[in-house]
Amino acid sequence: MRGRTFAPVLAGLAVLLAACGSSTSGNSPTTGSTLVFGAAVSLTGAQSKEGGLTKQGYDLWLDWINARGGIVVNNVKHPVAIKYEDDQSNANLSATLVQKLITDEKANFILGPYGSAATASDAIVAERNSIPMVEANGAAQSIFSKGYKFTFGVLSPANKYLTGVIDMAATPNPKPTTSAMLTANDNFSVEVAKAVEDYAPSKGMQVVFTKQYPAAAPDVSGLISQAKQKNPDIVMNSGHLAESIAINKAAKQLGLDAKIFAYSVGPSTPDFISALGADANYVYDGSQWTPQVKYKPTFYLSVAEYVKAYKAKFSSSDDPDYHVAESTAACLAFQKAIENAGSLDPSKVRDALASLDVMTFFGQIKFDSRGINTFKPMVVEQIQNGTHYTVYPGDVANGAPKYPTPSWSSR
Amino acid sequence: MSVRRATYLVAGLALAFLVLAPLTSIDAAQQAGLPLLTDKLWFRIATTVAMFVVMASAWNIIGGLTGYASFGNVAFFGLGAYTAGVVVTNLNLPFALALVLAPLVAAAFAVIVGIPLLRLRGHYFAVATLGVGVAVGEVVNNIEPLGAATGLFLPIIRSDLLFFYLMLGAALLAVLTTWVILRTRFGYGLLAIRENEEAAAVIGVNTTFYKVAAFCIAAALTGIAGAIFAQWNSFINQDNAFAISDNVQMILMAVIGGTGTVLGPVAGAISLELIIQTLAGGGSGSVFSQIGLGVLLAVCVIFIPRGVIDFFGGRSRLSLRYFRQTLRETSV
Amino acid sequence: MSQFTQQVILGLLLGGVYVAVALGFSLVWGILNIVNLAHGALVIIGAYITWVLFTRLHIDPFLSLPVDALALFVIGYALQRGVINRVIRAPLLFTFLLTFGINLVIVSLLLLIFTGDFRSVTPAYSGSGLHLGSIVIPYIRLGGLAAALLLAGILWVVLNRTRSGTAILAVGADRDAAQLVGVDLRHMYALTFAIGAAFAGVAGGIISTFQSITPTAGDPYTLQAFVVVILGGLGRVSATVAGGLAFGLIEVLGQSAPGLSSSYANAIAFVVLVVVLVVRPRGLLGRLA
Repeated sequence: MRGRTFAPVLAGLAVLLAACGSSTSGNSPTTGSTLVFGAAVSLTGAQSKEGGLTKQGYDLWLDWINARGGIVVNNVKHPVAIKYEDDQSNANLSATLVQKLITDEKANFILGPYGSAATASDAIVAERNSIPMVEANGAAQSIFSKGYKFTFGVLSPANKYLTGVIDMAATPNPKPTTSAMLTANDNFSVEVAKAVEDYAPSKGMQVVFTKQYPAAAPDVSGLISQAKQKNPDIVMNSGHLAESIAINKAAKQLGLDAKIFAYSVGPSTPDFISALGADANYVYDGSQWTPQVKYKPTFYLSVAEYVKAYKAKFSSSDDPDYHVAESTAACLAFQKAIENAGSLDPSKVRDALASLDVMTFFGQIKFDSRGINTFKPMVVEQIQNGTHYTVYPGDVANGAPKYPTPSWSSR
Repeated sequence: MSVRRATYLVAGLALAFLVLAPLTSIDAAQQAGLPLLTDKLWFRIATTVAMFVVMASAWNIIGGLTGYASFGNVAFFGLGAYTAGVVVTNLNLPFALALVLAPLVAAAFAVIVGIPLLRLRGHYFAVATLGVGVAVGEVVNNIEPLGAATGLFLPIIRSDLLFFYLMLGAALLAVLTTWVILRTRFGYGLLAIRENEEAAAVIGVNTTFYKVAAFCIAAALTGIAGAIFAQWNSFINQDNAFAISDNVQMILMAVIGGTGTVLGPVAGAISLELIIQTLAGGGSGSVFSQIGLGVLLAVCVIFIPRGVIDFFGGRSRLSLRYFRQTLRETSV
Repeated sequence: MSQFTQQVILGLLLGGVYVAVALGFSLVWGILNIVNLAHGALVIIGAYITWVLFTRLHIDPFLSLPVDALALFVIGYALQRGVINRVIRAPLLFTFLLTFGINLVIVSLLLLIFTGDFRSVTPAYSGSGLHLGSIVIPYIRLGGLAAALLLAGILWVVLNRTRSGTAILAVGADRDAAQLVGVDLRHMYALTFAIGAAFAGVAGGIISTFQSITPTAGDPYTLQAFVVVILGGLGRVSATVAGGLAFGLIEVLGQSAPGLSSSYANAIAFVVLVVVLVVRPRGLLGRLA
C-alpha cells in the first residue's frame, strides 16, 4: 500500500527535477529557437558616443551567452541575437524603432536606449505592447513613477548620483561647508541636483550657489565666474561629458579653486582624461560602477574577468566605464529572469524581473515596486595621476581620496 | 483625362484605402497580400506621416501661399501638445476638450506674435519666428506646473486606431483648408501678398489682417497635431514638443513636394517621412543611410527643383529634357 | 561691480566666437542668398583639423588657423563649383534644402572618420589668464576674440580694397549686371563661398580651444550664426561684428540675471532678438530699405 501511494509523488519529483535544468537531469539540453532582443541606441547624432558605449555593453554579454549556447529555458538552449536600430539621438524616432523591433524584427524583449528622454518614450511603447524592457541608461525617476509595469532599470536612480560625494565630503575634519551646484536643464540632471540640494544641508553643508544652464551649452564661463564669487568649498556639476570638460577648463581659466570638484557624468569616461590631461586630476564623480568594485557575483564574470573581456573584445587599453557595465547588467537581468521564469512568455518574464534578486559583477540587481534598482549603491571615483581610483565608500575603495584639491596655481 | 485630374483620382483612392484598410481584420489583410496594414508598426508610421502632413500643409499656408517662411511653427505644435498635457494631467479633464482648446491656444498665440512679427519681411521674419520658437520652448522647460525639465506624462491610451484616425482627420482638415483657401478671395489675397505686398495693398487687400489670419489658421492646424501627438506619445518635453528640427523638416517637406500647392506638402511629407523611416535604424551601417539621405536630398534639389508634384504632374514629363531644362533654369 | 565687469568681459569673449562663426555665414547669405545649413559642419571640420595638428604634430591651435582656412577654402570652392552652383538661381528654400543634405553628409563622414568621441585641444597655457584685480581674462579666449576681430578686418579689406572683393560685392548687388561687365559668375560664386568656408574653418579652430568637439558640435553654431547675422543686420561686416558681440553679451548677462535660478538664458537671448527685430526691422546696424 505504502509503495503505491509513494509512486506518483516520486514520479512528480522526477519531472520537477528535470524541469529545473540540465545539471539535475543529466541530459544535455537541446537547442531551441533564437531569442531576439531589440535595442534602439544612438549610433549617429549628438549621443553617438554614449550610444556606442551602450552597444558595447550589450555585445559583450551577447558573445558570452552565445559561447555557452544561449539562455537555458526548460532544458532547451536558446541562442541569442540582438537587433540594433539607430535612433539618431532622436527620442521620437527611438519610439518608432522600438515598435519596429517588436513588430518587424520580432524582438521578444527590449533593451533600453541611451538617455532619460529616449527611455521615457521607449517605456511607453514597451508598455503599450506589453513587452518587458530592461534599461541601463535612463536614471530619471520620473519614468518610474507612472505605474508602468514593463520597464525596469538596473541602475541606481538619479537622486543617488552625487549624494555619495556629500557623504564622502562629510568625513574629513574640518569638512567642507559650502557647495555650488550647476545643473543642465534636462530631466536626469535636474533630479540629480535636487537630491543634492535636499541632502547637503543634513550633512551640514550649505548650498550657496545653484544655477541651471541650457543642456549642451557651449560656454559656461559666465556661470563659473558667478560661482567663484561665492567661494564654495565644493563645486558640483550635474550634466554630461561635454559640459563637465567645459566647466573644468573654465574653472582653471577663471581661477575658481575648490576643495572638491565633483561632476555627475563625464569624468568616468576616458575622454575626460584625454581631453584635460593633468587638469583632470583630483576630479570626483559619482559612478554607477567602477572596475575596482569588489562584488562577489553568483554568475557571469567576476569584475576582473569583465574588465579583461572588455579590453580583449574592443582591443582597448582603457577600462570599461560604467555605461558599458550597466548595459551588460541589463542583459544579465534579462538572462536571470528568463531562466527563473522558465518561460519566454513576456508577462511571465516580467513577473520574474519584478521578483529578481541576484548579485552580479555590477552589484546587486533587484527592483523596487516602481521597477528601478534602489538596492545597488553608487560609488565615488577620483582621478589621481591620470588614473581612476574608487575612493568611497571604504569597503569597495582601492584608494584614499586626495583631499583637499590643491589650488590651480600650485599644481 | 488631364494630369491634374489623375493626381486627384490617385489621391482620392489612396485616401479611401487609408480610411478603410485599418478596418479590415488582420487575416483579411494578409490574405489580400497586405500583411503590414493592421499591425502596430504600420499604425505608428502612418500616424507619424499624417502628423507631418498636417505640419507641412499648415506651414504651406503661411510659408507657401503667403510667402512668409516661418521657423517658429513648431511653437504652435508645442503649445498644442502642452495644452493637451495640462488639460489631461493637471486638470484631469477629457482629452476631447484638449482637441478643442489646443487650436484656440495656438491661434491666440499666433495673433499675439503675428501682429508685430508679420511686419518683418523675408529673412528677418524667418529669424524672428525662430526666436519665438526657441524662446517658448525654453520658457516651458522652466515652468514647474508644466513639468519643467521632467516633461509631462499623459495616461496611456492603448488604441492605435483612435490616434491614426484622429491624425488622418487632422491631415484631411489641413488639406481641405488649403484647398478652400485657394478657391476664395482670401486665398487670392494671400497669393497677391506673396507676389507683391505693396501692390496687394494698393488693390485693397488688408494685408495685415490677411497675414495674421493665415498665420492663425496655420497655428490652429499645427496645434491640433500637437495635441494629438501629446496623448498618442504619452510623454512630452521640450525636446520632442519644441524640436527645431521638426520645423526644418516641415519646411523641407513642403519644399520637396512643392510649395503653394494643395497636394505638394502632402506628397513631400509622405515621401520624405517614409524615406527617413526606411533609412532609420539599420544598426552599425546606419551612418551610411544618413549619407544616402543627404545625397538624395541634394539630387532632388538639383534635378527636380520645382517639387515632386510638378515632377509627376503639371506640365512636365519624366524625361531627360525636363532635367536639362530645370538645370538650366537654376544653375549658373 | 567688478563681478558685472567680469560678466561683460566674458560676454564679449563669447561674442568674439559668434563673430568668427557668423562672418562667413553672413557673406554667403548676403552675396549668394544662400542660408547655409552646412555652415556648422564646416566649422567643425576646421576644429578637427586643428585637433589633428595639435595632437599629432603638437602645433599650437592658433598657428593652425591658417591651415584651417586654406583647407576649408579648397573644400568650399569645390562644393560651390561642383554642387551648389547648380541650384544657385532656385528660390532660397531650395538651397536651404540642399545645404541641409550637405550637412548630413559632412556630419556622417566626420562620424566615420573621427567617431563620436569627445575631442579637445588643451595647450599648456589654456588655463592661464590676465589678472586685473579680481577680474580674469583667459588668454586663450582673448586670443579667440583677437582672431575673430582680425578676421573681420581681413574680410572688410578684401571686400572693399581688392578687385575680387569689388567683384563679389558687384555680384551681390546685381548679378546680371555684373555678368554683363565680364565677371565670371561661376568663379565669383565659388570664390565667395570658399571665403565663407575658410572663415568657418578658422572659427572652428578657435572653438576647439574651449569646447569639446564631436561631429554634431557644429549644429548649434548654425543656429547662432543665423541669429547673429540678422541681429546685426544682413550684408555688412561691421553689423555682423556688432551682432555677434551683442549676442554674446546678452547670453552671458542673461545667465547671470539676478533672481532667476533657472535657465532662462536662451529664452532671454531669443526674446531680446525678437524685440530688437520688432523695433529695428533690419537689425541693429542694418540699412533701412
